[in-house]
Amino acid sequence: MAINRRQFIKRTAGAVSVSLVMPRFWMSNAALGQEAAADPNRKIFLVIQLAGGNDGLNTVVPFTDSKYQSLRPTLGFKDTELKDAQGNSTILGNDPLGLNPAMSELKSLYDAGRVAILLGVGYPNPNLSHFFSMDVWGTANLTAAGVGWLGRYADQKLLGKSGLSAVSIGGTLPKTFYASKFVIPNITPAGGADPFVNYAFQTDAKFSGDKNDQINTFKSTSTRTFPADSFADAIAKDGFDAEEGAAQLRAAVQNYTPGVTYPTNNQPSATAVQFASALKMVAQIITTIPDANLFYVQLGGFDHHSQEIGTNADNFTDKTKGQHAVLLKALSLGVKTFYDDLAAHGVADNVVMMTWSEFGRRPNENASHGTDHGTGSPMFVIGNAVHGGLYGQQPALSDLDSAGNIKFKLDFRSMYATILDKWLGADSQSVLGAKFDNVGFLG
Amino acid sequence: MASLSYDEAAHLLRRAGFGGTPEEIDDLSSRGREGAVDFLINFGSIDNSAMDSLLAASFDFSNPADNTKFNQNEIRRWWFTRMLATKRQFEEKMTLFWHNHFATSINKVSENNGLFMFNQNKLLRDNSLARFDDLLLKVAQDPAMLIWLDGLTNVLGKPNENFGRELQELFTMGINDVVTGEQNYTEDDVKQIARAFTGWDYQRTSPFTFRINANQHDNGTKTIYGQAGNFSGQDVITIISARPAAARHLTWKLFNFFVYPVTDADKGTIDRFAKVYLNNDHSIKELVRAIFTSDEFFSDRAFFSLVKQPVEFVVGAVRMLGGTYNPGSTVSTPVRTSTTPQTASRNMGQDVFAPPDVSGWDFNLGWVNTASMLERFNYANGYLTNRNTTVPGVFVTNDQLKGITKGSSKKTVKRFLGRLGPLSVGDALGTLRTYLETGDNGQPVTYTNDDATVDKKIRGLVHQIMSLPEFQLN
Repeated sequence: MAINRRQFIKRTAGAVSVSLVMPRFWMSNAALGQEAAADPNRKIFLVIQLAGGNDGLNTVVPFTDSKYQSLRPTLGFKDTELKDAQGNSTILGNDPLGLNPAMSELKSLYDAGRVAILLGVGYPNPNLSHFFSMDVWGTANLTAAGVGWLGRYADQKLLGKSGLSAVSIGGTLPKTFYASKFVIPNITPAGGADPFVNYAFQTDAKFSGDKNDQINTFKSTSTRTFPADSFADAIAKDGFDAEEGAAQLRAAVQNYTPGVTYPTNNQPSATAVQFASALKMVAQIITTIPDANLFYVQLGGFDHHSQEIGTNADNFTDKTKGQHAVLLKALSLGVKTFYDDLAAHGVADNVVMMTWSEFGRRPNENASHGTDHGTGSPMFVIGNAVHGGLYGQQPALSDLDSAGNIKFKLDFRSMYATILDKWLGADSQSVLGAKFDNVGFLG
Repeated sequence: MASLSYDEAAHLLRRAGFGGTPEEIDDLSSRGREGAVDFLINFGSIDNSAMDSLLAASFDFSNPADNTKFNQNEIRRWWFTRMLATKRQFEEKMTLFWHNHFATSINKVSENNGLFMFNQNKLLRDNSLARFDDLLLKVAQDPAMLIWLDGLTNVLGKPNENFGRELQELFTMGINDVVTGEQNYTEDDVKQIARAFTGWDYQRTSPFTFRINANQHDNGTKTIYGQAGNFSGQDVITIISARPAAARHLTWKLFNFFVYPVTDADKGTIDRFAKVYLNNDHSIKELVRAIFTSDEFFSDRAFFSLVKQPVEFVVGAVRMLGGTYNPGSTVSTPVRTSTTPQTASRNMGQDVFAPPDVSGWDFNLGWVNTASMLERFNYANGYLTNRNTTVPGVFVTNDQLKGITKGSSKKTVKRFLGRLGPLSVGDALGTLRTYLETGDNGQPVTYTNDDATVDKKIRGLVHQIMSLPEFQLN
């Protein structure tokens, strides 16, 4: 039976004996040394944050909306321009929408029925501050109060499970994963061959005989009792969890062999390689840690106030190149590569991915070949369990709010609720604090 | 004049700087509370020639176009060298405060090998205790900010709202008044203020002087906070800097950075200190003097109430222990440099010159996760086990460590806890003592401070102390 370290400390009333310290961490020992066995009941959820405010209107393009062309004289795609690099149309079947030409891989997944596109996703009285709006999405609370929505889920569902049942890959732990009780680790990728290599409590290489004494001393001092909810308490817990979990994680992920080739060598871009590498780390954990349940990766840089399209060479006019195209290609290629890897490992049925961004961008482009902060935008939910297609309603560009932004059509909390209820087996009302209608893309 | 105990002086130096040796703490203590603060904030009169010499011997920034000697890594090494070697600790700490406040990233402002970020850093340092209006105007007119928040593309008829929004939300007032909770501005104020800054630009050749493109500036009437007029960008900065909401927001940020995490119950305190700003012509120096000499700053609540920022962790561990950072040099041949401090800080979540976004870093628990904690433990291990004192890097010698030891294990542990805080660690003191008295096979051994023990167990002891939860606090 798994034991929660907090319970353990309580039971031992501070009299911690080093040899008795039992980490709440990680998988059952039987799982070590091999890839995780196939299990149709595994429900893994990956969040992909598009940070900075993704330009939804140039991601899912409403090319038949006459206002689109007039509001986007330089940035807008014409129907004839909705073709990927191979010349294949990125228009979504008979619908009046097309994917950005950079997203050819996501288009192939859409055509295979693996992608739900949720249109006009936002919330009432939108806030145009990056930070506030990110916190609104992270907490699923319109006042941005409280811990993260998946942190609350983890508090309800993951306590007592492996410490690697939820993992963030990136620079810092995102608000979405802030929890009250469950400590979710964030792993910062190391450069070099093994991105997990620094994930260890290191000791003096000159005196390997002292290592056990070092680690035992560390365990003892970091399992002392500190005042509840103090910084010291959180630090001690995270520090202890880091040391215990790291060793087991590094051993486990060595059992992974990639099933496909991931992007390397700055092709098609350094950003694409970095993003795909983070997804590969997720694949390593999914295929080796049976308890793996929640993941989070970030793709940043979407705040394109200027030069959203093109490069110096084309005087910033080529819509198939430039900052936004590079990011959408990174997203599309990364997701497809990761999906193919999961399929090669026989776990594609077990994983659902969701993108989100704190807001879309203003329909009317600015004079800098860019766009300012907007409101709602489309989101993608991807996976074999997903009923592919379009959900919600494309906001009409003839019906903008007083600031010139679109009016949202689908509350983001309905997207969350659907995933909680139909995929993660949770009670969305208790996680989100209110009842939100499910959208039909799962279940 | 209020006295200043050793522990209070150590607290003051850890917060207003990065911490120091017993000699530095004793010196501050002898000056009393007001005298010590006066000494720290009048840093211009502290002799810093040793650091200047080190910088001259370690960096060649004579030609910023030479990206082998001037680049993004080099300016980071330059700043860490300053923080680790300066005698004017508050100067660097206040620069860090402003870097977080006007958070600008080299990931976007990458022109000229990072020159604009370097120049902004110097601007923040040179004006760190000026009138707030003056500092804000200089920052706003500096190329780094004009690029960072798209001022360059904010032109007549096509305003770009990025700067106009963050100026209010992050740099001055915040969305809501810290004390009254009232909304400070509307979306329309953002649009109108963006118009006031249209046409702001800089000359494209060195020294990249600020200029206004008159034909791109909107000379129309703007209505800001209910007042109509042909306001310029400078007018807007003057108007905002005089608003009590700006004084309160700045005070709130200073308290959170230097004193303790502020709660709703502290509104009265914030309002009281905000008045120091308003009553002293917006003097940052008088505001920080009031804060650092206050009973709030020296209250029990303030001691060790913040989580150490990565920069504080990295720099403090060297300064408190009397260790060495040899930055290496691009002046001498062969070129050999150490980027250890900047890399460690980045891995712990604080990449200087590259805050995550315009709101700066997330403090306290924002620094704490399993990965960042491992980085702290492992930086400590790397620092304590680096015995190669002939190449650039961060290290402490056996002789230095031996000088802190005592003959008994208990006194030795206490000496190091004193040196690295002073820290009060309860039961851990006994655990650390047991560590000193345990051999490779777990069997008890007798502690002596001979050279072999210092090289093995004292280095291990300091690694352990730096891995304690107590050492992560400031």
